[in-house]
Amino acid sequence: MIEERDELVDRAARALSAMSPVKAGAVARVLMAVRASKVRPQPAWKRSVRWLEDASVSARAAGMLVAASLVVGFVLRGTVDVAGYSTQALSETPVALQTISDAGAESRGVPVAMVFELANAKSVAVVGDFNGWDPAATPMQRVGEDGPWSATLLAKPGRHTYAFLVDGSTLVADPLAAKATSPDFGGDASVMMVRTP
Amino acid sequence: MGSLRGKLSHTLGVRREYVSEFDPTLPVRAKHGDEQAFIGIVEFYYPRCLRFARNMIGSEQDAEEAVQDTFVRVHDSFSRFDEDSRFDPWLFRILANRCRTLMARNRRRQSLIEYGEIPISASAEPEVGADWAEEVQVVLNSLPMEQREAFLLRHVEDLSYEDIAAMTGVGLSALRMRVKRACDTLRARLD
Repeated sequence: MIEERDELVDRAARALSAMSPVKAGAVARVLMAVRASKVRPQPAWKRSVRWLEDASVSARAAGMLVAASLVVGFVLRGTVDVAGYSTQALSETPVALQTISDAGAESRGVPVAMVFELANAKSVAVVGDFNGWDPAATPMQRVGEDGPWSATLLAKPGRHTYAFLVDGSTLVADPLAAKATSPDFGGDASVMMVRTP
Repeated sequence: MGSLRGKLSHTLGVRREYVSEFDPTLPVRAKHGDEQAFIGIVEFYYPRCLRFARNMIGSEQDAEEAVQDTFVRVHDSFSRFDEDSRFDPWLFRILANRCRTLMARNRRRQSLIEYGEIPISASAEPEVGADWAEEVQVVLNSLPMEQREAFLLRHVEDLSYEDIAAMTGVGLSALRMRVKRACDTLRARLD
């Protein structure tokens, strides 16, 4: 069969290759949906299939797990509330973050979407007590060619100090968040509150 | 750094390009429960998945729903991901299935729309004066679903015929025929 591509098909393919706009906080919403699916009680047939799939789990243990998950599921249903950092930033209120809360927040951390704008930066990373101030832990990705920087991180509920590390060397506090009064690392930092329900 | 004040994030609805490089260890790490690795996968693939879903379904809102459902299913199904396989075809198989499901749901809804309420997007002819990208999208929407899917996977998402065959369960020659017919239609309608 002859190759089906030619100049016109190439043009059409290029036109369809344009990326769709991605809303800020989209990744955090996906993570929220993933976690929400975990706390939703499953139909009885699905639980049975899963139990049958895992031969290493005894019937007694499986029964206890199913019972426990049902209790947790019913208690936590409807408690999920999501919003991204950028939404909060748009309102220019001093508290840095709105949060996503779910059953695993205490142990796994809450997904937090962060957006930071600095046009001439070559690289930006989020550093804070939630990632041990590790410059490599949470690199931000540029949105478009000259758009803002974006990242999603996991932070346990509570108070956190953080900053943006620009070009690997300059720490910049979040201009729209409350300043940390006693930064852990000796430079400018900001405070965010990650909340549980 | 005072100039930064007030510049933060007025960015809802901005365009996002590919994250420059994909760490090939992310799928395996995510499979073994590394949630930061899963975030890395979503960050990298979200724009591309959204593009495919938008091109398939034609609705931004439904595309977002399809992509979100896809990542939920990816997360729930990671135990079945073969670590020796490539991640893209596995992800796009799930995404294509979600798009088909949503399109079937939309068709059922449309069948309930009364005469006189047919949406503009149902039009098969390009509008006079519409720009090139819109014309291409209109012609694409008029293709049978199987041809549209095969064309997008091959020529927009740049997957190989072998990968698409493995994803869809369709034979290589049938796939090539679908892509060829899609190209023929595009050529005839856009030339």
